[in-house]
Amino acid sequence: METLKLKKVTSGWIITILTLFIVSIVLGILMRLNQGGVIQQSAGTFYSNMTTHGLTMIGIWFVAGMAAVNYLLQRYVKTSHGPNVFALVLTIIGVILLWTSTFIGDFHAAWTFLYPLPFKDMGAAPWATLLFLISLTVMGIGWLVWSVSLMAQILKKYSISQAFAWQHLRKNPTFETPPFILITMITLVGVIACLITAVVLLILFYAEYFSNGNFVNDALLMKNLTYFFGHTIANEMLYLGLAVIYELFSEVSGRPKWKTTWYVALAWNLSLIFILTAFFHHLYMDFVQPEGLQIIGQLASYLASLPAAGVTVFSIFIAVYQTKINWSITNLLFFIGVAGWVIGGLGAVIDSTISNNIVLHNTLWVPAHFHTYNAMGNVLFSLGFFYWFSTQFIDKLVMSQLTKFSLAILLIGGTGFLLAFYIAGADSIPRRYSTYPEELSVGVNMATIGAIFATLYLTAILIFFYNISKRCLKILFSPS
Amino acid sequence: MQQQSILLLFLALAGITTIVFTYIFFSSRKAVESQGMANPLKKRFWFLLILFVVLGIFASVTIPKSPYYLFADETPTKVYHVAAMQFAFLISEKAIDLLKPSGDDNIELPVDELVEFRVTSLDVNHGFAIYNESNRLITQVQAMPGYVNRLRYKFNEPGTYNILCLEYCGMAHQVMRSSFIVK
Repeated sequence: METLKLKKVTSGWIITILTLFIVSIVLGILMRLNQGGVIQQSAGTFYSNMTTHGLTMIGIWFVAGMAAVNYLLQRYVKTSHGPNVFALVLTIIGVILLWTSTFIGDFHAAWTFLYPLPFKDMGAAPWATLLFLISLTVMGIGWLVWSVSLMAQILKKYSISQAFAWQHLRKNPTFETPPFILITMITLVGVIACLITAVVLLILFYAEYFSNGNFVNDALLMKNLTYFFGHTIANEMLYLGLAVIYELFSEVSGRPKWKTTWYVALAWNLSLIFILTAFFHHLYMDFVQPEGLQIIGQLASYLASLPAAGVTVFSIFIAVYQTKINWSITNLLFFIGVAGWVIGGLGAVIDSTISNNIVLHNTLWVPAHFHTYNAMGNVLFSLGFFYWFSTQFIDKLVMSQLTKFSLAILLIGGTGFLLAFYIAGADSIPRRYSTYPEELSVGVNMATIGAIFATLYLTAILIFFYNISKRCLKILFSPS
Repeated sequence: MQQQSILLLFLALAGITTIVFTYIFFSSRKAVESQGMANPLKKRFWFLLILFVVLGIFASVTIPKSPYYLFADETPTKVYHVAAMQFAFLISEKAIDLLKPSGDDNIELPVDELVEFRVTSLDVNHGFAIYNESNRLITQVQAMPGYVNRLRYKFNEPGTYNILCLEYCGMAHQVMRSSFIVK
């Protein structure tokens, strides 16, 4: 009965996520078409769409990772059904409030809502800022309750040192922590840390909003809090995806399950430290920030790549190299997703170098690299899970021609769309411009090319959406 | 040009990654029986060590080139005060009065001399990004309310330089701009 409930709520998540994903991609394409001069939107509409696109994308891929982890966690510990449904309901309410604030209230302070812009967001309805903050609060509460409940369930079965796999750092451990538990635990610590920071950030926003000018925040502190939250959640959602890969890659490939060893335990524990300190790279161009923190930002960004590359990526190589495995759409998406994650990571490491950042910061190089590890990395991790989830209850599937075709256009569309970003970024084209000044015409051409390729990507996603959703709908409405 | 080298470096690394992943994928497709990788732990160790050394070299070369250390020991010959606001830049050789802010009309900077911009904002966060005549971003700093960021630069080429806002600041962010002449 419990498993049936979990299957149904997971199906609910998948259908919600994919529906919101398609709307968000369309908004993204409209933005690129506007920058390319193919359509004409007002600046206000463009920036409202940009705000909706950014926050919806971050939200859905975070909950996609959480829903997958929650589903698989059931194999190890008993998870509660309540917080999962609670988070789903609050996410849907939060998205409705968010979209009302942006589409109707014209709120357009971007998904980072960098203080004090939401209070000086000219052109938005007077109620829109408050509604935007409320929408974040609603989603934040749902996610925090969900994350804490998952962590509590892990800690009911495993001690703290077992959950972090610390016994593997000694010789001959008597107890083996499954890699999935270790990664989920590490990720949940980061998730809870960034959600608590979001709570602090929102309280400071509300305090100023309701103080009638008696309380004013510090812009540098608010920026640090914003990026601690924003950077961390955007990265942790990738790690949720990796937890799923550790659990499922070997299984769907027909290979022995991955084990936790001393270096896996060490790498993931170190990752936690690096992920929580890398966010300083968002403030490189704020020269008033202490220099020590800037250097920590660069070093942590570099060091974060070591455990990721040395353990996760290398483990994938070992699992696949000259090894006969059952290739299916699921492990193929995981494998391509890891490649996308690595390539996006390379773009990120280049940008996290302070002396490069001075000519790349807030150019299109930034969306270039984060779209690489999201659209061609994390999205594929989640799609892989969605496919596996939706097909595990039916007979064995063969990869149809349509699936192969959709995978091919996903790759072609994704690559072209991203290259247009990278080339424009290296050409100093600013990000977050509704239209480009005359002298930056490269930006206009690249935007049009980007929109064309993004449409191919969208076509592939629509095919995936059709295949996955029809099966999820069956699960959702099946009596048993 | 720094950005072109960055793009080439990235494309080369992305290309190598694609080749490695493709090669490994096809090695699996061709595998008749599972041979796997010989000595994976040893290979993993070397892979990590090489990566660590490469990143270490990269960090030690690039960190000293960070903007915070550029021209840090020199004294600028001229100081310009910049106050960014929705949606304009005020630039002045005199300190800007925040209650009655105003800027100079024509700004001319000396060529080959160190200048310092003291950049703040009167409302929200803005970016102060300088583009040369080839429309290439050459340096930037953030403009943050309540703080003054000091950006130093030596312009070696005379000409007209554009200033664009590189931190999203609202409805007219994309048209917030100014310019100055270097002679």
